[in-house]
Amino acid sequence: MLQGLREQWRRLRGRAGRDALDRELAEEMAWHRNRLARDLEAQGMNPDDARHAARRRFGNTTKLREEVFDMWQLGSLDQLVQDVRYGVRTLLRSPGFTLVAVLILALGIGATTAIFSAVETLLLRPLPFREPERLMNISLTAPPRYGGPARTDMVWSWPKWVTFKKAQSSYSELALYSDDRMTINTGDGEPERGRGEVISARYLATLGVRPVLGSDLPPEVDAAPKAASVALISHALWGRRFNGDSSVIGKALTIDRTRYTVIGVLPPGFSGMSGTASVWLPILARRDWVFDQAMDHEFFMVGRLREGVTPEQATTAVTVLGRQVDGAHPDDFEGGGMGATAVSLDGTRVDERVRRSVLILLGAVTFVLLIACANIANLFLVRARARHREIAVRLAMGANRGRVVRQLLTESVLLAVVGGAAGVLVAWWGVQSLAALNPSAAFGAQRLGGLGAVSLTGIRLNPAALGFAAAITVITGLLFGIIPALKATGLTLTSALKEGSIQFGQGAARRGGGALVVSEIAMAVVLLIGSGLMIRSLANRLNVNPGFEAERVLTLRLTLADGEVARDSLPGFYDLILDRLGGLPGVTATALSDCPPLAGGCNYTLIEFRDRPPLPKGTQRPLVGVHWASPRWFEAMRIPLVKGRMFTGADRLGAPKVVLVSATAAERFWPGQDPLGRPVGVGQGGFHDTVTVVGVVGDVRFGTLESVPDADVYIPYLQSPRQGMMVYLKTSGDPTAVAAGARAAVKELAPSLPMYDVRPLTDRVAEASAQARFSAVLLGLFAGMALILASLGVYGVISFVVAQRTREIGIRVALGAVRRDVLALIIRQGLVLATVGTAIGVLAALLATRLLGTLLYEVTPGDMGTYVSIVALIVVAALVASWIPARRATRIHPMEALRTE
Amino acid sequence: MDYPLAPKPRSELLPGTLDMLILQTLSVGSMHGYGIAQHIQRLSKDVIQVEEGSLYPALQRMKLKGWLSAAWKKTPNNQRARFYTITAEGWRQLGQRISAFDQALLAITRVMRPS
Repeated sequence: MLQGLREQWRRLRGRAGRDALDRELAEEMAWHRNRLARDLEAQGMNPDDARHAARRRFGNTTKLREEVFDMWQLGSLDQLVQDVRYGVRTLLRSPGFTLVAVLILALGIGATTAIFSAVETLLLRPLPFREPERLMNISLTAPPRYGGPARTDMVWSWPKWVTFKKAQSSYSELALYSDDRMTINTGDGEPERGRGEVISARYLATLGVRPVLGSDLPPEVDAAPKAASVALISHALWGRRFNGDSSVIGKALTIDRTRYTVIGVLPPGFSGMSGTASVWLPILARRDWVFDQAMDHEFFMVGRLREGVTPEQATTAVTVLGRQVDGAHPDDFEGGGMGATAVSLDGTRVDERVRRSVLILLGAVTFVLLIACANIANLFLVRARARHREIAVRLAMGANRGRVVRQLLTESVLLAVVGGAAGVLVAWWGVQSLAALNPSAAFGAQRLGGLGAVSLTGIRLNPAALGFAAAITVITGLLFGIIPALKATGLTLTSALKEGSIQFGQGAARRGGGALVVSEIAMAVVLLIGSGLMIRSLANRLNVNPGFEAERVLTLRLTLADGEVARDSLPGFYDLILDRLGGLPGVTATALSDCPPLAGGCNYTLIEFRDRPPLPKGTQRPLVGVHWASPRWFEAMRIPLVKGRMFTGADRLGAPKVVLVSATAAERFWPGQDPLGRPVGVGQGGFHDTVTVVGVVGDVRFGTLESVPDADVYIPYLQSPRQGMMVYLKTSGDPTAVAAGARAAVKELAPSLPMYDVRPLTDRVAEASAQARFSAVLLGLFAGMALILASLGVYGVISFVVAQRTREIGIRVALGAVRRDVLALIIRQGLVLATVGTAIGVLAALLATRLLGTLLYEVTPGDMGTYVSIVALIVVAALVASWIPARRATRIHPMEALRTE
Repeated sequence: MDYPLAPKPRSELLPGTLDMLILQTLSVGSMHGYGIAQHIQRLSKDVIQVEEGSLYPALQRMKLKGWLSAAWKKTPNNQRARFYTITAEGWRQLGQRISAFDQALLAITRVMRPS
């Protein structure tokens, strides 16, 4: 093998001076001949005889030289070079054809590569941890509750984790973690609002990550609350806030007014399981109260499989352990029945809908690429007709068929390579747009199983994507080249050489072209129907009334650190802030709430009805969404009052506690009755004792656009102060214009209070439909490309038909056919292709659109309106595409037509 | 006429033997093609006449395989000629050829001259 390679290499090197090689050999042999002649002369032969004898000895030197020359040939490689040169010349001879083909290919290959990059990033790329295939996500499960489905993705409480950890033997390492927002203060510079994680001691060991500087968390951080206030920091934070100075170890870091000692710096690029962390703190240092709260579920668990344990064995073991954990921590309120399960971490990397979306997009873009191939194959077929004489001559001169096919394939692959190169540019641009189109927000609205490490912003053209582009380039080249190449060489010599013969192309090529166009149309129909359904779903989503008005509202978040302002002074503090912000020019109203709408859901709690007998222990109790709002929040959001009254400034600490309920809650809990004045208990915010319902307000979608509104309860902020609130500024003009003023005002009042997440409310609404928009826009784009390509295909084939039938049409016109007859004759052919293609496409779409499944919203996969409009669209496109060449046919002059042959 | 180089009954060489002879010849030192032919002819007492039509392709083939290297040098009487030198790979080949040849010779001898 190696020997063979070396030999090839010597050949390659020899090639460079192949002429020199030949010259040297000639010189060497001439010298040899002279020397021989001289020796013969010395032996007494006369000079002429000696020369002749020497020459005879050598025989035919030219043949010898050829023999040696061939020896240094690269064989098939040399033929390839020849074919490529010839191919380049042929392609340059018809620049228009080449340009169109390259453009089509560049779009097809580029789009496919861009989408593949997304698939690679989201689904294929190994997770950035050591032996990621041995990592599993372990979660609690719960039976169906409150009308919702059974859950298999629930988080853990600290005591449940401890029970599980003691009993299990399937995992060599186990860790608990949760993401967390924090205000980070390094002592110098501004406080920074950032994301971090709280973790258990073996978190890094589980993932197989080591600090690049300093040490990992000591084991005692898991032993007791507040055992050690230590912190790990990201490489980026180290560089940003500590200038990458190694003296950082042992320095203090103030996080939300608590001091932590930096003990380690993590490797570059590592940002935790959440993908966004820059600080890691021990769970029990930051949230000491979770230590004995078995029902405080807020942590994800990740485990590394012990050597020799399979994921299936581990899952079985976890299921058994889940029941033990539930038995050890019985739950009186929720009714028990919880368990545990484990899945590979890789399986939880993206939301199921995201996985489905990108795979469908990959399928769609593959269709576009196939259509592009069919189109170019068509172009090649048409061109093969123009070249049939050249090919016939080459076959007649003794070229074997394989050699000619190889030459034609080289030409098509060459075209594909140029198209592929241009496609990489398209892909580069496409990937940029994908990353821009979607910060993790589009898919981050749902929690990605706690695993935020993977997001679209990480998409880039990497070696895998480039390799993919190269592979599909060669495959497409062969794909669109093989049929025309076989067809072109399969002709009989005599018929093709006969001048003016119409045997070739008339039957075979046209049938081939027709079949290609029919499949193009069929694929385009599938894509158009699929994208039509997605676009309708998007329109349905955008038509959903979320229950509030988002225009001209700026939202921003403020979070006070623990103890910064006493709990009872919080309303006063926020009143001051709202007063100040309300005085800004352009601001017409100010309000507060704890959690914005369409954010994927807020807090849930239990509601109890104080005027009804208590439910027996162990039964499920009704759940409500619970929200904190300031008096003017409903007004600023234009949420209508259905009944009763809104909150007022008088609903303060000390005054009787009151709540508002949503229309859905009123309907669900008091059907046909008046909810006003009813005594209830709400499980959060200190409202567990008896409070009174004073009003009913319109429904608001706090979860997603698709999910129906929950039964919601509103608590007056003034009666239940919280440290962190979202501030709403209703403006008279562009809401972003007041952002700078708001920032300055907050900074002046409270310099250490970070203000973040500043965005118009309309942004949040747009985000709620971002994923649907992403799929619908891309699918629509691909379907549009498919439509254009398929129309081009129809146009190409019909043009070819017109060219083929010029003489026939000429005769028809000479015999009295009028313009309309000729038009009908040609257009009929286009319509036949379109009809067959559409019929196949509709059948295929009925099957294929089932894959869209849950991505559709309020539209069925068999939606009649979509099918009818797409069929109409295709027919119109086919009509236009065949009308243009048909019109050309009507201009055929009988005499000219008859003369062309 | 009695030319010494007139066609003679040629001793047919076993396939591959020419390569071995060339390698053996070059094991003495660098030589040009003419020299190689002369050397083999002389040592074989004119029995083996190396045909130029086989010699040069053989030299090129062996060069391609990396058994020989070639360089233009001056001959003692100041003419330009291409000298061939055996390479390390060539030496290895020669060793293999010699042992194979010895075995073959022994085998043939056993058949032809049974003791």
